[in-house]
Amino acid sequence: MTVQYSELIQPERVHGSLYTDPSIFAEELERIWYRTWVCVGHVSEVARPGDYVRKNVAAQDVIMTRSADGEVGLLLNRCAHRGNLVCEDRRGNSSSFRCPYHGWTYRNTGELLGYPYNQGYGGKNKLELGLGRVPRVDIYQGFVFASFAAEGPTLKEHLGAAAGELDRLARLSPEGEVELTAGWLRHRAKANWKLLVENETDGYHPQFVHGSVFSVTGSPIGALYSDKSTAVTRDLGGGHSENDLRPEFRRAARPMGWFGTSEARVPDYVAKMRALHGEQAEEILIEGAPHVMVFPNLFIAEISVFTIQPTAVDETVQNVTAVQLKGAPEMNRRLLSQCVGSVGPAGMLLADDSEMYERNQRGMAARRPEWLDIRRGVGRERIDENGFRIGAANDETGMRGFWAHYRGLMEEGAAQ
Amino acid sequence: MDQWIIASEFAEVAVSLDTDANGPRLRVEDLRGGRVRYLDALELESVVWLSDERVRELLDPSAGRWSDRPADG
Ligand code: FES
Ligand SMILES: [Fe+2]
Repeated sequence: MTVQYSELIQPERVHGSLYTDPSIFAEELERIWYRTWVCVGHVSEVARPGDYVRKNVAAQDVIMTRSADGEVGLLLNRCAHRGNLVCEDRRGNSSSFRCPYHGWTYRNTGELLGYPYNQGYGGKNKLELGLGRVPRVDIYQGFVFASFAAEGPTLKEHLGAAAGELDRLARLSPEGEVELTAGWLRHRAKANWKLLVENETDGYHPQFVHGSVFSVTGSPIGALYSDKSTAVTRDLGGGHSENDLRPEFRRAARPMGWFGTSEARVPDYVAKMRALHGEQAEEILIEGAPHVMVFPNLFIAEISVFTIQPTAVDETVQNVTAVQLKGAPEMNRRLLSQCVGSVGPAGMLLADDSEMYERNQRGMAARRPEWLDIRRGVGRERIDENGFRIGAANDETGMRGFWAHYRGLMEEGAAQ
Repeated sequence: MDQWIIASEFAEVAVSLDTDANGPRLRVEDLRGGRVRYLDALELESVVWLSDERVRELLDPSAGRWSDRPADG
């Protein structure tokens, strides 16, 4: 029986089975994870020819490589002979990969270089086999995206308005480039991937879930999500959404205020930014970094970058790393330590959130009531000057945008 | 004797400068296979200038250790 997504996804509520039904999960892999654009990593992770890192697109084990001529490519980690994993380490440097099972050897572009005792195959160069390649790879602001569909919207089309948020992150670097070179932590949550996505721009929960952290650290973040806040939640279209805190940051008008630090602590950085941007530097430094969820799996929370990887209907791995700004060593040290403190292994924010996704998943095992409510702020949404739907900072506007896009993808060309 | 280990998940070699002969040479030992090869300055220079195509041929497993023909080295 085909799932009727239009019944399960309604404007103000979504059905619990969307998070628990394995057949829906299987369909999501085909219709979302192996069809649209998914963020895999960043070019700075493979800075030099021969560099490689292992990545995932849902269950697909992917190797991101940089070839001798500098090209970034995505290979599937599966030997063309008998399907063994060609590469085991998380990262390394090698121009070629040798499968441990029977020694077949491949260039890091996927080309088969040879196989032991080649007479069994009639000699050299007799096999037209190579490693699988992800059909489409594209890069935006250094972020590497993969699409398993040979055709479809371009990355630019997929990103739409979310591209501007990646620009906003990159422009914080005195060299205009982000680097994701701090290494990734991998957190496993026993929860459906969509709970993580929804949580990323849910401005309703921080004061409750993170209340203890805010109170010990004296953080002003909680207030940004109060009913008095002028910050907004914006549906950027395409399933992307953001918490736009700029109205509050502009009101405070403190350079680096978004980062909880002051000019005095990062003088070289501020000087470089002023030299580069002139008067516009103030605006850039006041507005800071985005808090954006790029459908379906890239989340940037000001100082941290997350990629979400679904592994089962009720299990998700969340990869996290600190934003590093090229040419800004002072900032980078602070970005790293703040990131570790908030979302590292003992990080307080991520621990809080993980507990919530997992409780959600467990709660949903109970069969009644069947629906999850996403109506918060429906009555007070408005359209901003650029035509985007916005709600208060603690409204569920982003979730509604996510579900509208999700529904479109899940129904598109579906067998009737 | 300073020795460097250059290793990846695919291979592991020990590299050192050998000065026992009349002139210096590079000693390269395959730590998994146990075999040692010495490379003199001219050989090393030639490696630097090898075309990518030739290096690619060297990487073919049937080119040496796992050849159907008796090894030539
Ligand atoms: S499975 Fe890789 S060489 Fe046989
Ligand atoms: Fe949170």
